Amino acid sequence: MATPNEPAAPMTLSNDEVLRYSRHLIMPEVGVEGQQRIKAARVLCVGTGGLGSPLALYLAAAGVGTLGLVDFDVVDYTNLQRQIIHTTGDVGRSKVQSAAEKIAAINPFVQVLRFEAKLTSANAMEIFREFDIIADGTDNFATRYLVNDACVLSGKPNVYASIFRFEGQASVFGAGSGPCYRCLYPEPPPPGSVPSCVEGGVLGVLPGLLGVIQATEVIKLILGAGDSLIGRLLLVDALAMRFREVKISRDPECPVCGANPTVKELIDYEQFCGVRSQESSGAVVQVPEIQPEELKRKLDGGADVFVLDVREPHEYQICNLGGHLIPLGELPQRVHELDRSREIVAHCKGGVRSAKAVAFLQGAGFEKVSSLAGGILAWADKVDSKMPKY
Amino acid sequence: MIRVIIPAHLRTLARVEGEVRVEVEGVATQRAVLDALEERYPMLRGTIRDHVTQKRRPFVRFFACERDLSHEAPDARLPDAVIAGTEPFLIVGAIAGG
Repeated sequence: MATPNEPAAPMTLSNDEVLRYSRHLIMPEVGVEGQQRIKAARVLCVGTGGLGSPLALYLAAAGVGTLGLVDFDVVDYTNLQRQIIHTTGDVGRSKVQSAAEKIAAINPFVQVLRFEAKLTSANAMEIFREFDIIADGTDNFATRYLVNDACVLSGKPNVYASIFRFEGQASVFGAGSGPCYRCLYPEPPPPGSVPSCVEGGVLGVLPGLLGVIQATEVIKLILGAGDSLIGRLLLVDALAMRFREVKISRDPECPVCGANPTVKELIDYEQFCGVRSQESSGAVVQVPEIQPEELKRKLDGGADVFVLDVREPHEYQICNLGGHLIPLGELPQRVHELDRSREIVAHCKGGVRSAKAVAFLQGAGFEKVSSLAGGILAWADKVDSKMPKY
Repeated sequence: MIRVIIPAHLRTLARVEGEVRVEVEGVATQRAVLDALEERYPMLRGTIRDHVTQKRRPFVRFFACERDLSHEAPDARLPDAVIAGTEPFLIVGAIAGG
């Protein structure tokens, strides 16, 4: 059974609310008492992006009385393919403001608490204090571990989902006797080893699927109804349209929820996830880099520079510099196509894969090789504004 | 023939789509399956198990038949349904997209 959240005090429903929630009220699993619980509930949506959009929209429509929104970001065009709480007219605006307006339009009975800030170790506990349930819709490992630890330390359930390409994972962590996120994944992958949605892409409807699963789990926790995903990990494969469920257990040696915890307060999660070293070097691997303007000067000046594109063929079709295409994964088998006497500039979308390619080529004895800093996106920003960005 | 499902980004790395099938000689164990997988796709070495210790990486889990096999001994026999090919051996990795 899910963990019920007792409302602080019974909340009455107005006639307008009775009408609005009538399809809930006629279900015995919800009824007037359940709807009052939903109205009394305080739910925090961490992130108002792909997952946060359907999550917040459905929780608002369902009548969650207090919805918190945390996000520091602004809406951009690449968000609109999946972040359905935001519209074309919102591009450039604060995501929290944009989302709050849509929630108000859907259900004026919902109180929205806005946190236009990045969730950090300094503010997480204070923000979480205002809420009963936390829903994690963030997009990076550092914030995932921060949300988990703050939930465990504050004793609040973490309704979790994550997505990549066609696949998603969902669970409810840190509630009652169930495992937490660290029980499942004690450590994050090294920076750059698992691509983000920015690098690897994501099917636009996938966060819809997973965000709605999160919303469902939130409502069930509020109602204390049904079997929650506590102790279960749901694996969604949208391409095969297959839902698998696996059992997961609490780790007695978990550093945050185990018998002898070593993490008793929030830590530096960017350091924990190795983000700082990645940002400071501009790439995962420290290799020689060339700035877009310098490459442009060399090419215009007729220098003998061989441009190596290590992206995938479908990315090459979107935009390219006319370089020789060898996807990073094929480089070891196709390295013979390269002339080690020539200067080689490798590039990808943002500079991570090309840094790996340069490190590989250096290890194979290539000496005149560098990575285009910031990839083809930086080229579009600094050299060719007509280049499509993706 | 053992059916193995690997994380999406590793499928890209190995240049495969969908399930991978590997032949295992002798007793089908986690170690035998992972050895066969890495022999066929050398680029996966170090991504699922540590290069040196050969231990499962902490951001990867093994499941089959709805059970978490992550803490099973590497030489423990896999479930019969996996050996029979009716259920896949799932290698699940952490993802963070949202």
